[in-house]
Amino acid sequence: MISLRKREVAKRVFAYEFNNSTHKIRESNDDRAPIYVLTPTGARCNRVFVVGVLLEREETRPDSDFWRIRISDPTGVFIGFIGKFQPDALSSILQIEPPEIVATVGKVRVFEGQNRKIVTIRPESITIVNTATRDYWIYETALKTIERIKKMYEKSDEDVKLAWQVYNPDLKEYEKMVKTALNSIREREVKPLEEKEEISEEDFEKFEEEFEIEEEEWDISDILGS
Amino acid sequence: MNKREKILEFTEDIVRKFKNLGINVDPNSVRKRLELLILEFKVPENEAYRTVINYLTKEYDISKEKLLLKESPLVKIEDITMPDTWISLKAKVVQLWDPTSPNVSQVGLIGDETGIIKFVIWSKAKKRDVEEGKCYLFKNVVTDSFGGRLQINVNRNSEIIEIDEDIELPKKDISAIGALVAIQQGSGLIQRCSICKRAMSSGVCPIHGPIKTYDDLRVKGVIDDGENVYEIILNEENIKKLIGMDINTAKKIAEENLDRNAVLAELKNKLLGRYLEIKGTKSGRYLLVKDVRFLDIDLGDKVEKLIKEIDTLSGV
Repeated sequence: MISLRKREVAKRVFAYEFNNSTHKIRESNDDRAPIYVLTPTGARCNRVFVVGVLLEREETRPDSDFWRIRISDPTGVFIGFIGKFQPDALSSILQIEPPEIVATVGKVRVFEGQNRKIVTIRPESITIVNTATRDYWIYETALKTIERIKKMYEKSDEDVKLAWQVYNPDLKEYEKMVKTALNSIREREVKPLEEKEEISEEDFEKFEEEFEIEEEEWDISDILGS
Repeated sequence: MNKREKILEFTEDIVRKFKNLGINVDPNSVRKRLELLILEFKVPENEAYRTVINYLTKEYDISKEKLLLKESPLVKIEDITMPDTWISLKAKVVQLWDPTSPNVSQVGLIGDETGIIKFVIWSKAKKRDVEEGKCYLFKNVVTDSFGGRLQINVNRNSEIIEIDEDIELPKKDISAIGALVAIQQGSGLIQRCSICKRAMSSGVCPIHGPIKTYDDLRVKGVIDDGENVYEIILNEENIKKLIGMDINTAKKIAEENLDRNAVLAELKNKLLGRYLEIKGTKSGRYLLVKDVRFLDIDLGDKVEKLIKEIDTLSGV
């Protein structure tokens, strides 16, 4: 029996933290069970909402209608893939000429290789927004991240305990990340975060070849509205 | 408890049940019947009890259900915690939905001051229609669990009596700030049935079939604040306030593009991914929006406060 699941909340996570996330959680063996990615500060994400600068959009192969996009926030870059199974996002992306500030909401996908995993977004929609929206997203995401860091110190709930177990994170690193993000709204000169395993373009192409990132089928949970 | 005591207890019970219906049965004759069955014929006690009741209901020509149901207790909605229980309740009809099955005559939500619950009136119950906003005594209805949630079913043995009191509903005012993360099917320039105002689906009214329609503008969307999602409905007035589009501009857009979907595309372009500040009342699945605006706040102080807070974190 198909049960109507509650729609998954879109979590707010900065790119730096998002890209450090590797741990997948599947609540049951049911094929339709949602998959979550646990971030180092204990955010359990099935869907994310991101506002940032669309830096690039590139068709992975000519005429494939399968696009790779890069969206930057003050802490790093989100990578996303849009294909024909995301018709709304696909028709939008064709009309957006980067660079442009965009808001996107999408499901989280983890691609697993032999020695590396990458976390990506599969956008459901993508729209051009203004700087005020971007600034509020940074503020909101900072707020949520701080709330999570507090919980990490308290070691209170299950997700937090799991995050400690999986990542044993240096919370200072994430506090610094939040500061970097907030400072960007203050319009002050800020030192960029130390580059850490930023995935370069060449790396990425190699990665794509290695794992043959393929278009996803319809996700039944989209249709069910979860 | 010995058999004689049991007989006395049954006698009292039966007499009381009939008295509730305004029928006075003779306790002596009831007792004698029970004695005959239980002591003389050695019929099991519960069978004897049932047999006497059957006999009396036939005798006085009343339905057995009526007898057993008469006593379903009057409860408040918050007290409904178990399925398959007979109850009665006073409630206001909050909202009526479109029945999805011919077996259902009406479906929707009723509420009292303690809560709101889904109700179903089966077609077989043959009840007069209830109206939104009116209050009723729902007598002898059955609680049920459907899709993991409790509801009440009105069946043939139930009674719905309009009452002349105004039942207050629980306050469910909600305000939220969140991003509009989805605009769902059934949004944009839609057509409604000229009789019942229901939205047409593929040119057909679910009740009245293919019929004269009128246009309307609405957005069914999802607001997400990172912790919760709220399903909202924006009407023409809300939409006009936000982006200046009313039904006439929407029609113009549709005409210019020879496509109603152009309106939806425009709504998505202008609304998706934006932060909205909403106030409204929760009614079933949807938040009915009373007031909506684009979020416009000065972040200056808030950001400074947050930065200071970071420095205190590790001190905890």
